[in-house]
Order: sequence, then C-alpha cells, then structure tokens
Amino acid sequence: MLKVPEHQVAGHIAKDGKLGPLVDDRGRFYKPLQGDARGENEAKFYESFSSNKNVPDHIRGYFPVYHGVQLVEASDGSGKLPHMVLEDVVSSYVKPSVMDVKIGSRTWYPDVSEEYFNKCIKKDRATTTVSLGFRVSGLKIFDCQESGFWRPDKRVVLAYKADGARTALRKFVSSNSLADDSVPDCAYASEVYGGSNGILMQLLEVKAWFETQTLYHFNSCSVLMVYENESGGDEERRPQVKLVDFAHVLDGNGVIDHNFFGGLCSFIKFIQDILESSDNRCENGH
Amino acid sequence: MHLKAPEHQVAGHIAKDGKPGPLVDDKGRFFKPLQGDSRGEIEVKFYESFSSNTEVPDHIRRYFPVYHGTQAVEGSDGAAMIVLENLLSKYSKPSVMDVKMGSRTWYPEASEEYIQKCLRKDARSTTVSSGFRISGFEVYDHKELSFWKPDRKLLNGIKVDGVRLALRKFVSSNTLSDTSSKPDAAFASSVYGGSNGVLTQLLELKTWFENQTFYHFNSCSILIIYENESIHEDGARAQVKLVDFAHVHDGNGVIDHNFLGGLCSFINFVRDILQSSDESTDN
Repeated sequence: MLKVPEHQVAGHIAKDGKLGPLVDDRGRFYKPLQGDARGENEAKFYESFSSNKNVPDHIRGYFPVYHGVQLVEASDGSGKLPHMVLEDVVSSYVKPSVMDVKIGSRTWYPDVSEEYFNKCIKKDRATTTVSLGFRVSGLKIFDCQESGFWRPDKRVVLAYKADGARTALRKFVSSNSLADDSVPDCAYASEVYGGSNGILMQLLEVKAWFETQTLYHFNSCSVLMVYENESGGDEERRPQVKLVDFAHVLDGNGVIDHNFFGGLCSFIKFIQDILESSDNRCENGH
Repeated sequence: MHLKAPEHQVAGHIAKDGKPGPLVDDKGRFFKPLQGDSRGEIEVKFYESFSSNTEVPDHIRRYFPVYHGTQAVEGSDGAAMIVLENLLSKYSKPSVMDVKMGSRTWYPEASEEYIQKCLRKDARSTTVSSGFRISGFEVYDHKELSFWKPDRKLLNGIKVDGVRLALRKFVSSNTLSDTSSKPDAAFASSVYGGSNGVLTQLLELKTWFENQTFYHFNSCSILIIYENESIHEDGARAQVKLVDFAHVHDGNGVIDHNFLGGLCSFINFVRDILQSSDESTDN
C-alpha cells in the first residue's frame, strides 16, 4: 500500500533501509516525524496554519493540505512511527518535472545553536543562497529527447553558482537535450512560467502575501515547482507552485519574513528574465 | 570657503582625535573625507557610476545626494574629499534618523575579518531579526525647544519594541527625555503619511529595488529628514535619502534582495505606526 515516492527531489529519501517519506495510491504523502524537534515543529506549523483564520484562502492553495498525524510502518523497518499525513503534491501528475528551490539569503535564524548556525552559514556561502537569495536544492526534469528523467547529482546542484542556477531554471522549461552542454531552448517557458496560471503569476501572488504577513517566518523553506510532461489528452502543463518543508518555521512576532521575501523577489526576477528572453527570441539556439 | 563641522550628524564618522570628519560650507555642500582601505574609492566609484547611469530613472535619482566630484580641501592635509549635496542645508530645525538597511551588513566580496565583525553586530542588533537597524537619530522636542538624541550605547542594544518606540518618538512633539509619558506621535501623518510622506517615498524606492540589478547597496542607510520649524503651518517636508556607499558592489544581474527585504520590513514598521496613530483618539 505504501511505497517510496518516485519524484522526490530533495530532503531525506526512504531508500536502502533509510527512514524517509512514503506515498499511498490515494494522493497522500507520509512524512516521518523525526526524532528531534524538527518533526514536532513541522507538525505544529501545519496544525497552526490549517486553523489560522488570518490566512487568505487563495494563499492556502500554495501549501500542502494537512491530514494530521498517523502511525505508519516506517520505511526503515523500525516499526510503526508517527508520520505527518500531507497532500502528495505530485500525485495528479503522470510525468512531472519537479524543482525544489530553497528561498532566503540565509537558512539559519536567531537563537539557533552555534553548531547549526555554522553548518548553515557554511552551506549558504558555498551555494547561491547568500549571493542570489535562493538556491536550487534538487531537480528532476523530463528530457523529451531521451524520453526519461534528467536528474543531476546533488553535489553538482549544490555547486551551482549564479550561471548554474540560471541554466537549471532554463533547462527546467526546455525541450532539447538536458544532459549535454547544448543551450537550453526554453521551449516551454511561456506555458510553464508564463500565462495567467503560470509559475510567475503564482509566485507574484505568494509575494504579495509576504509583503505584509507577519504570522510566520519560513526559515529554510522551499518553493516546489511542478508541471506535466505527459503528452496526449488536453496537453495542459498545469504548472504549480507549492511551499514545502516547515521544520524550521517560527512565529513572525509582528515582523514580516524579510529573508524569504527578499529571496523570493530575486527568484521572481530570474524567472521574469527567462520569460522575457524566451519571448524576445526569434529562433532556437539563443 | 568657510567650512565647519555639520550640526546634525547622527551616525557615521565625526571629526575626532585628529582624524578628519565631514565638513559643510555655506553653499549647501557637504565634504566627506575619503575613507581609507578602498572604502572611499568604492564610494567615489559608485557616485561616478550612478551620476552617469542613464538607466536610473529621474524619480529615483532624487533619493540620492547630488555628487559634485572630489576636491582637495585645505586644512585636511590636502587629502581628497567627496563633495556632495548637503542634505540638511534647506532645513532650519531638522529631525534626522539614520536606518541601516538589510538583514546583513556583510557581503560575499568582503574580507573574512570584516564578515565576522558584521555578523556579530548584526546579531546583537535588530538587523538579523527585523532586516534593518536604527544607527542614530536626533529629534526636535517642541516642548523643550531643543534637540534630543538617545544614548548611542542604549540604541545599539534595542530590540524590536525599542525600534517601534524610536520610530514613534521620532514623530512626537512631547517631552522626549521624560520616559514616563508616552510619545504622542503627533507628526506621524505629516511625516510618515500623505502623498509626499516617508511611506510613499519608501514605496517608490521599493518598486525600483524589485527590478534594479545595477548595484548592491551593502551597509547603506536610509536617512529620514523633516522640518520642525513651522511644521503646523508649512508641513514637515519629509525626505528620504540613501547615503553611505562605501561598500556598494555591482549587482551583476541580481537584484539587491538583502536591501529589498529589509526595506519592505521597515515599510511595515512605518505603516504600523501611521495606522495606529490614525486610529488613536488621544495621546
């Protein structure tokens, strides 16, 4: 009944006897509550968020639906463990391209342990977090030429600088071969990033909320981008933006989440630039 | 040329212990000594670039001091000084506040030593938590008929509530040194509000920052100035200016997300005070 998710791009993976999330065949995602405070904190966030009347409905749609906590057989064989039950964000897609982007120019936050702070800041400085205000955490893109998924090694992804991040975002919406050095054609940029229901519009809606919301600080959270590659049927890409990973969310205490907001704006600019240059381009190869 | 020390300097370097500080003349100009270790050079480079950058819209240019090049000034050992517009020359009794913008004052290009120094200061202040910190301010007390300035050390240790209080005091008319009376925020709508007020100006700047990728304004401040002389008859003439460009670097196609995040947070603080002063019926 429960199996390892196919399209997990970042975070812990339930594989080779390790503890990780599972999915069922009814569109639910089971995330094990980790031993430390993080799992508890994430569940606490979901509980608070689901019942928070100050969150507008159209913003609620950018968060996975929460179905409480259940005891479920853990993926590492350690028996029944409490798992958060969430909406499986990719379950309605047949061949989804998925990208996880961690938003914010810092992943640490006030009052963390020195050890955690040092670990975070080292990673933030080594990746595009400090310079761009976001970093690509993982990606899995359907390669039409290969008829399979392209999934670069995690270490390669974490080594991206600004150009690498830009290329990844362009490859995310391209139809030509991804694994080699060919210039991404951004053939799907307007269908995925653009349009009234595209990624850009959704990000702008999220951004508008972050300009004034002081409820939560989404430390170390990611924006997940998903869209459909399966051809046939109505050929709709159904691009989606979801916020995920709330293990480090804290109360806003009357201050906006300026860290997330700044990084989100920077990310939006990258998407806008790609959309604009793909609109202006007359032929592929540019 | 008749030069003297500026009257209302609230933050930054002052003339002390034989080291040169800024000077002003009687023609509306401000003379800033070129700081050592490349900072002065960077600031000049920024002003040169900015003044000739045709892609900076005119309505944004007004938020920056006018640049008049560099000049050797006698009495400062022939050392070159940056000549700028004196932002206070058109004010007779200005209240001034300096707010350092951004949730970090360090940047990737800085030295490790500098980064560590900044990290410590950012964590101790409201920089990390709120995305900005108040570097200093001086406000005119309409009851005492004199200027009041908080103790520098006290200011360095304030937290979020202290910031809110300072932003209220900044637009109050009642006795500021008396901590038992609540600041009345009497001038909140004239200074922060209105079609030419601080909030409107900050929002204009914010829009520019959402798109401009020319410069990263590391460690820059926003200066808020308003006139106290005849404030009831003539209004506050509030002005927002960006200052201190010793650490500005090229944007390289990326927006200044650090400054933008902090600016947006600061805007919310100002808006909150404006709204609560609009709602309150008495002080």
